[in-house]
Amino acid sequence: MKRTLKALTLGLALAASTASAQTTVTFWTWYLSPKFDGYIKDTITAFEKANPGIKVQWFDKQDSMVQDFIASVNLGSAPDVVNLNIDETQKAAQNGFLSAVNGLTSPSTLRATFYPQSLSNFTSGGNTYAYPWYGWLNEGVLLYNPDLFKKAGLTRPPRTASEMLSYAKTIKDKTGAYAWVPALKDPNTASFLGYFYAEGLPVTDASGKAAFNTPQHANLLAQYVTLYRGGYIPEDAVRREAFQLATELYAQNRVAMIIGGPQALTRIKDTNPSLYAKTVVTGAPLGKAFLQTGGSMGLVIPKASKNPQAAAKLAAFFTNNANQLAFAKVVPVVPTTLGAQTSAQFKTTSSDPIARATALVGASGRLINPGYKAPGNSDDLYKNFNDNIEAALLGKKTAQKALADAATYWNANLKK
Amino acid sequence: MPHWRQTLMSYTFLAPALILLAVFTFYPLLYGAYLGFTEYNGARFANNLPPQWVGVKNFETVLSDPLFRTALGNSVKYLLVVPALQLASLAVAVLVAKNLPGIAVFRAAYYIPVITSVSLAAVMWEWVFNREGTLNWLLGALHLTTPEAAFGWLNSEQWAFWAVMLVTFWRGFGYYMVLYLAGLQAIPEELEEAAILDGANAWQRFWSVTVPLMRPTILLCTLLSTIAALRVLEEVLVLTNGGPLNSTYTALMYVYAKAFQGFDFDYGLASAAGLIVALVALLLSALNFRLFHRDGEQA
Repeated sequence: MKRTLKALTLGLALAASTASAQTTVTFWTWYLSPKFDGYIKDTITAFEKANPGIKVQWFDKQDSMVQDFIASVNLGSAPDVVNLNIDETQKAAQNGFLSAVNGLTSPSTLRATFYPQSLSNFTSGGNTYAYPWYGWLNEGVLLYNPDLFKKAGLTRPPRTASEMLSYAKTIKDKTGAYAWVPALKDPNTASFLGYFYAEGLPVTDASGKAAFNTPQHANLLAQYVTLYRGGYIPEDAVRREAFQLATELYAQNRVAMIIGGPQALTRIKDTNPSLYAKTVVTGAPLGKAFLQTGGSMGLVIPKASKNPQAAAKLAAFFTNNANQLAFAKVVPVVPTTLGAQTSAQFKTTSSDPIARATALVGASGRLINPGYKAPGNSDDLYKNFNDNIEAALLGKKTAQKALADAATYWNANLKK
Repeated sequence: MPHWRQTLMSYTFLAPALILLAVFTFYPLLYGAYLGFTEYNGARFANNLPPQWVGVKNFETVLSDPLFRTALGNSVKYLLVVPALQLASLAVAVLVAKNLPGIAVFRAAYYIPVITSVSLAAVMWEWVFNREGTLNWLLGALHLTTPEAAFGWLNSEQWAFWAVMLVTFWRGFGYYMVLYLAGLQAIPEELEEAAILDGANAWQRFWSVTVPLMRPTILLCTLLSTIAALRVLEEVLVLTNGGPLNSTYTALMYVYAKAFQGFDFDYGLASAAGLIVALVALLLSALNFRLFHRDGEQA
């Protein structure tokens, strides 16, 4: 009897200690469910198997991600791992919402895992605030409709950004379709700054002050203004997100080209399979600086997380080379890991547009760079910048005046 | 039952509602008003620092911000929807109050926009207002415009405001119509019959019987509609995001942007702006009361 009691007590104690060792990590992704449920769930299962003491609770957030994040901090129930993009990570870090990941994973491990530029994208004030996750290149590939090209009398895709601008007139005049949809003022960011970067024009000076009001900057903006006012750019481009509008119009044969990642093709495949089949995929034209722009998602650890160590393990697991490559097999994203450069999966050749596009950009994660970093008080600064771009496009201000006004506002309202 | 027991029982029955109101209405209202006088932004919030009293600084900042002044101006201009909405919904309520065959279908049809989600409505109205949309097609068919002169209504600084207002009208119409219908059905039939016996025609009966008896409902609907117009947000957000050139940017969009858009939020500024909007709403409500609630009469 005594022996039985002893065994029972020991068993209970063991069970209790096992239970107390169990840590639950809350993981929030952004717009990944239900399309990628399979991949996320499989990766979580693999993580839990490799880390028996950690259990993962996964939630996918959509529109209200940032508001939910802030509310959860207020309620004392902050998630442990959160999927944010570069811009939001910078803003969250500037305001003190995040733990520096270089304090949770050794900087040497981070450097050995990710491209230097990928880490730099998530670095603010000398600290890195996210494990870089999947990315995309804005000028990764050029997709075009060969029928519209033929109708316009064009024999080859544009090779430079300035050639792209000249194609806008040719294609519209001869086919009635727009050549492409430039990202003039995408909501919640200042996308036109990316064009300055691509042309080798500075966005800010070394002290972070606005430096986008030179005659060269104005000249570039003026070229877009001329096209817009001439009806060569869809007028909805001042109101709607360029990528969404482009994929919508391309599928209707009303836009000839899309500059962007292979992800655009996924939508075209769904909405217009016959156009998808004949879409030609090639390298995108670059600006004078021969630089790419692009974005990436990261996994951040909120300062309010109750399990930062376990959270760091999960974030590192999801963003490691093997798991990023596996994700790139499910959806044409660009991995941000050094190991992706030499991966065989991006060396395959295929006539399928998505496979071709993925092969073109998959190993180019080192080039992902938005071209500008979110300044302090960026929501206000971006709004003012976009308002000025819009004023120029709608003929309310000259390009030079619009940029000068934006720079003045920027420098007066910049918070460090 | 002694008086004190009666009082106690009354308050006991009131208590659940009062507690809910205190927690979910009065406390947030007072706390929001307090925040308007403090600095409480993303950085303070994230670092667990309490709001810091700054007096009227936020009000000065908000009132000196050209964007807020534009937004408040747009919100006040948006009130033009109120008389149009009230007149139209009252008129249609009078028409559909009659027991004509198939009238239930009309009533339901007018109410559908009220229960349609704003995102779905936005997609539909995009089709209407697009350059190649239904509205331009209709104007073209009536020879009022040509395909070359057509434009996207939501991209026009002159027209986007009115286009969004039309959506607000469309969304609110059924709601007010139902309220007016309820009001109309509460009018005793004898009064109408007496007016008929007195020889009053339909128009005289409407002005002399219906409108006076409907005054409480008109006051309620006008008040609700005024406040809703000042608080318009969803349709602007999804249709134009405040553009072009901030021509549709409303005061509530300003409050929303300062309070909820991203990690750069500033509850102090948002609360100050919200208080200013609330003050305008209060003034306009008082004006409504003066217009529709004559002294000595029960509204």
